[in-house]
Amino acid sequence: MQGFEEVEHTADIALRVRGRDLRELLVNAALGLSALLADRTEASVEATQTRQVEVEAFDPESLLVSWLSELIYWAEKDRFVCYGIEVQEVSSAHLKATCTGGCAPELRHHIKAVTYHNLQIIQTDQGLETTVVFDV
Amino acid sequence: MVDSRAIKQIDKYLFEIDPSFREDMRVPARLYTDAELLEHALGDASVDQLVNTATLPGVVKYVLAMPDIHQGYGFPIGGVVATQLPDGIISPGGVGYDINCGVRLLGTHISEEELKPYLDELATAIYNNCPSGVGKGGEIKLKTGELDRVLEEGSRWAKARGFATDEDIERTEVGGCLEGADAGAVSAKAKERGHDQVGTLGAGNHFIEVDVVRDIYDEEAAQRYGLFVGQIAVQIHCGSRGLGHQVCTDYVQRFQQTVQKYGIRLPDRELVCAPLNSPDGQAYLAAMKAAANYAFANRQVLAHHVRRAFAEALSGKVRNPHVFQVYDVGHNMAKIEQHEVDGERITVCVHRKGATRAFGPYHPDIPSAYRDIGQPVLVPGSMGTASWVLRGTEEAMRQTFGSTCHGAGRAMSRTQAKKKVWGGELREQLEGQGIHVRAGSMSGLAEEAPSAYKDVDRVVEVMHGSGIATKVARLVPVAIIKG
Repeated sequence: MQGFEEVEHTADIALRVRGRDLRELLVNAALGLSALLADRTEASVEATQTRQVEVEAFDPESLLVSWLSELIYWAEKDRFVCYGIEVQEVSSAHLKATCTGGCAPELRHHIKAVTYHNLQIIQTDQGLETTVVFDV
Repeated sequence: MVDSRAIKQIDKYLFEIDPSFREDMRVPARLYTDAELLEHALGDASVDQLVNTATLPGVVKYVLAMPDIHQGYGFPIGGVVATQLPDGIISPGGVGYDINCGVRLLGTHISEEELKPYLDELATAIYNNCPSGVGKGGEIKLKTGELDRVLEEGSRWAKARGFATDEDIERTEVGGCLEGADAGAVSAKAKERGHDQVGTLGAGNHFIEVDVVRDIYDEEAAQRYGLFVGQIAVQIHCGSRGLGHQVCTDYVQRFQQTVQKYGIRLPDRELVCAPLNSPDGQAYLAAMKAAANYAFANRQVLAHHVRRAFAEALSGKVRNPHVFQVYDVGHNMAKIEQHEVDGERITVCVHRKGATRAFGPYHPDIPSAYRDIGQPVLVPGSMGTASWVLRGTEEAMRQTFGSTCHGAGRAMSRTQAKKKVWGGELREQLEGQGIHVRAGSMSGLAEEAPSAYKDVDRVVEVMHGSGIATKVARLVPVAIIKG
């Protein structure tokens, strides 16, 4: 089972993300976003930097949005794309992680934001699943 | 899902969904459309999204869909929602992430024939003068504290820096500056995203286009707007860049809890909002105005860069390389305006998301040179197709809170478009039509393929036929500059 896949949306880009638990869901969502931002093979992003991130929210969905928003901010600021994520702490409203990645020479997509559009993290037989819509 | 049986036709181009359709609807939902465009709209979730907006606290009269409506997130794109002050809501999702995304139209004294030998040179000069592409910064370096001036003064800041004329300011919606903007309501992160992007085009569907005025439909209005057949004109389509995206992100996040505080129940979390008279609502309004001012300044600086490109490429080659402003108008904004509802003049917050203001004649917010004609409305087409200049009408004031369509509206997803169209092929096709293309990214080009959009002429026909915004001029592209 792949942790993420792109799904059709008229105006924007959507990702279906899965994970056995919230930790894995958050990691897979970030990796899915990275795949949208830069083609690692093509763009030869050297994973040479590590960055610390800590986000607070008030439920799992808002945590997911806060987390991805932080990564979008980095991508715009200096085209930083992360490929390795080590989660130190996670709860339904808090995430602390170390991201390893690098600055891509160029980005494939201009992702403006992550939206709450129909955002819901649901329980499945395999764990958790959600569809995140990005505004591009 | 809304099906066609719930939609009643009440006029040639007007359809309505009764509030009895869903028990949480507070007002009817109206769609300006025709049979074919309606079928498109019913093909995605846009009509359901429109119905969702009819549930918002303080919503008045009806919610509206323009013929270019398509699925957004929360609010549909091509929607107009007015809420009554003092306690009606304001919603960041009702404005969108690209706050004050809009269009500026510049006119020239150059004819198509006169430009022909130098068009390629001009396209290159515009591409070189106007930074574009994902996350690209520009040449304007703001001094400490200067970004706050951009946010609070908009185009007036640009004028102080020598990037604007008085005429540019006069011919910009609200003079290029929304009063009441507060840089303090904009986060440090938003400012970080915006500090080096003033005067940049960005990527996605944003573009600069060199056009030829192909047809005139309304001689009097065209003459007043300074347009004539065969004339070279330039459109600039972009918005508030990363700064606006971050402002929306910040407030959508903050309002997730605000709605709980005010006991607002919503069918979609992207619709989060706050009462206009609450500190939360006021903070978003002040931040949105700041981002809108940033966008006005951004398009103003880009216009300055375009003028420089014209001077570089055409000085001494054409009789008069002067570039003047026709108008600048946004299509993603919430504005506090006075409108008549049930025979009473009331103050409302008009959310236009993918909809253009279209004020009728004699409205005080229209530049004096156009006041008796009505506001120019700028409707860009999809890449390679026509664009339109319309004029706002009294009918728009009566029926649509002074609003009309904003473009062609997507019909196909970006991923679908890329599967069907290859960027290089599209470029050849456009160049085969005599259109010069300067694009940073071929896949970006494919995403914006004209076949991914509805027919703009058809969209405009609905607005014209309804008398909401009537045709003045039709423009066709000769050069496209994209990120």
